[in-house]
Amino acid sequence: MTDAPAPEPAVVTRGSLAGRLIWLAAAWSILALVLTGLVLTTAFRDAATRRLESSLAATDIEVVAVTRVQGDYVVTPPVQDARTLRAYSGKYWSVVEADADGGFRALTRSESLFDFGLPAPADGPGMILAAPGEPYFYDAVGPDDQPLRIMAVARTLPNRRAPVIFLSALDRSDIDQDISNFAFLTWTALAMLGGGLIAAVLIQVRVGLRPLYDLGAAVAEVRLGKRQRLLGRYPSEIAPLAEELNALLDHNQEVVERQRTHVGNLAHALKTPLAVMLAEAENSKGKLGQTVRRQAALMKAQVEHHLQRARAAARAQQTHETTSVAEVLDEMASLLERAFQGKDIEIDWRSPDELAFRGERQDLQEILGNLLENACKWGRARIRVDAWTSNPGRMILIVQDDGPGLPADQHQVVLKRGTRLDEQAPGTGLGLSIVDELVKSYGGRLELGTAELGGLKVEIELPAVEI
Amino acid sequence: MRILLVEDDPDLSRQLKAALSDAGYAVDHAGDGEEAHFLGDTEPYDAVVLDLGLPKIDGVSVLERWRREGRATPVLILTARSAWSDKVTGFDAGADDYLTKPFHTEELLARLRALLRRSAGHATATLSCGALRLDPRAARANVDGEPIRLTSLEYRLLHYLMMHQGRVISRTELVEHLYDQDFDRDSNTIEVFIGRVRKKVGPDRIETVRGLGYRLTALEGETDA
Repeated sequence: MTDAPAPEPAVVTRGSLAGRLIWLAAAWSILALVLTGLVLTTAFRDAATRRLESSLAATDIEVVAVTRVQGDYVVTPPVQDARTLRAYSGKYWSVVEADADGGFRALTRSESLFDFGLPAPADGPGMILAAPGEPYFYDAVGPDDQPLRIMAVARTLPNRRAPVIFLSALDRSDIDQDISNFAFLTWTALAMLGGGLIAAVLIQVRVGLRPLYDLGAAVAEVRLGKRQRLLGRYPSEIAPLAEELNALLDHNQEVVERQRTHVGNLAHALKTPLAVMLAEAENSKGKLGQTVRRQAALMKAQVEHHLQRARAAARAQQTHETTSVAEVLDEMASLLERAFQGKDIEIDWRSPDELAFRGERQDLQEILGNLLENACKWGRARIRVDAWTSNPGRMILIVQDDGPGLPADQHQVVLKRGTRLDEQAPGTGLGLSIVDELVKSYGGRLELGTAELGGLKVEIELPAVEI
Repeated sequence: MRILLVEDDPDLSRQLKAALSDAGYAVDHAGDGEEAHFLGDTEPYDAVVLDLGLPKIDGVSVLERWRREGRATPVLILTARSAWSDKVTGFDAGADDYLTKPFHTEELLARLRALLRRSAGHATATLSCGALRLDPRAARANVDGEPIRLTSLEYRLLHYLMMHQGRVISRTELVEHLYDQDFDRDSNTIEVFIGRVRKKVGPDRIETVRGLGYRLTALEGETDA
C-alpha cells in the first residue's frame, strides 16, 4: 500500500490553444514578410545595377567612337566628360589587351585613372575574348580601394590583328549605399508590420478565446457554490459544452437525491418494526424483554449511524448549493420553540440576511436542529444564536443557552458517538457528535465553551458565501 | 380526553392503543390517511397522534387539510424520518410536536400530556387585522389562510401590535414587552424584529411613524374577515 505509485493527475496541461494559434499565425506572417523583403530588395538591387550598367554602356560607346589605331598604338583622345579627367573621380575607361598571365596590359586609359591599371576579372579575360562584342560585367577594386563595376567588351579594331578589350568602370559605392539604405528601410518597415500583425493576432486570440476563459471561471463559481448551474450566453462552439456541463450537474443532483430517498426509505422500513419491538419489550419485564430492548437500541443506533454515513457520501458529490442561514435559523427556531412550548423557551437569533452557508440546506438544518434541540433541552428560558462572516468565505455560528452548562472535562466525551450525558433527556443522544462530524465533513470546526448566559456555548466555523 | 391515533402498522397500533387506553384516554384508531382525515374532520378530538407514512393520503397532506379547514386540534407526529428537514416539513404543515421512531412509550405519553396541557391553557379569541389573523390558542398566524411561520419573539411582537392595532407603539414599549430581562435593550433589536415580521406579514401592514414608533393597520380596501 505504502509504495503504491502516486496517482497520475487527471488533467495535464499540454501547450495552449492561444499558443498554437499565435505560433501558427506568427510563423506564416514571418515567412510571408521575409519573402516579400527578399523580393523587394532583389528587385531594387537589380534595377540599380541595371542603371549603373547602362551608364557604363554609354561611356563605352563614347570611347569606342573615338578610338583609332595609329601604327602600333591604339589612340583614344580624351573623352569630354569632366569625371574621366579628374584623378580617381570614380569614372574610368581604358583600352587593354590580355597579357600572358591572364591580366590586362593597358593600351590607353582615362586621365582619371592616372597610372592605375584596371584589374581583370578573377577568372581571367577568357570569357570576354570568347564573346567579342558582348558586354561582360564584373566587380573589382579600383584606385583608392573604390569598389568598381566594370564593363568589358572585346573588339577587333581595323588595322590591328589582336583584339582589344574596352573597359568602362564606375565607382559603385553610391548605388551600394542606395541598395543598403533601401534594404534597411524595407526590413525595418516589414519588421514593424510583422510586429503589428503578431500583436493583432495576440489580441484576436485573447478576445476570441475569452468565452473559454469565461466558461472556466463559471465552472469554478459552480464549484465554489456561488451559483448552481452555468448561465449566460456562450458562442455556438462552446454552448454544447456548457449545456453538457449543466446536464452533468443536474445528473449529479439527481443521483444524490435518489440516494437520499433510498436511504430514507430503508430507514423508514426499519424504524417502525423497531418501534414495535421496543414497545413490546417494554411491556415484558423478563430477561427476553431486557435483551430485546438492548438489542433494539443498538439496531437503532446502527440505523442512525449508516443514515448519517450515506448522507455524508451523498454530500461529498456536490458542493454547489448555498443555503441562507437566516432562513434556516428562522424555520428551526420556530420549530423548536413550538416543540418545547411547554417550557416557554425563546430563541433569539441574529444573522445578516445575505449570509449563506456553502453547503446543503439539509445539513445546515441538521446542524442547527441538533444544536438548538440540545440548547432547548438544557436551557431554562433563553437561547441566543449569532452568525456572522468571519474571514472571507468562512462564517462563525454561536449557540448559547442559559442552562447548567458543561464542565470542561466533559467536552470531549459528548462529542463521541452515541454518548448521552443524561439517559433521561429525550432524544437519541447523537446530537453533538453528529453535528461535529457534519461540521468536519465541511472542513469546519466545533468548539464547546461557557456561554455568557451561563450555559453551554457551541461555536462552529463553516464555509460561507455572501448572497 | 379523546385521542385519535393514526398508524398503519397493525402491531404498533395495537401497542399504542393499549398504552394510551391504560393512560386513561379514549382512543379511536385510523389505519390510513383517508379514514384519519374523515375522523379528524367529524369528531371533536383533544389531540391527534399522526404517523406520517400512511396509505392512501400521507400524514403531511392530512395535516395540511385539517389546518386549511381551520382545525386547531394539537397534533403530534410520529415519523421514521429523523432528518430535521422532514421535521420542518411536518411543522410547516401544522404539527405541534414530533417524535422519531423508534421511541419509548413513556416518552410519547409525556409529550402528549404536555400537548394537552398547553392547548387547554389559553382560550382567547382569534385576533384579526385585515387578511392577517392570529390564533392565540394555537399560537399561529396566517395571511389570507396561508400560514406564516413565526418564532416566539416575533409572535409576541405581532401579538402585541395586533392587540393595539391602529395605535402608535413606541420602541421602548415594544422592548419592554418583548424582553422580560434587562439584556439587549438596544433599539436596533426592535428594528431587526420589525423587519422580520414585515417580511412575513407583508411590508405595508406595519408602518413606521418617524420618531414615535410603529403602527399596525389593515391594508387599504381590506375588511376584517
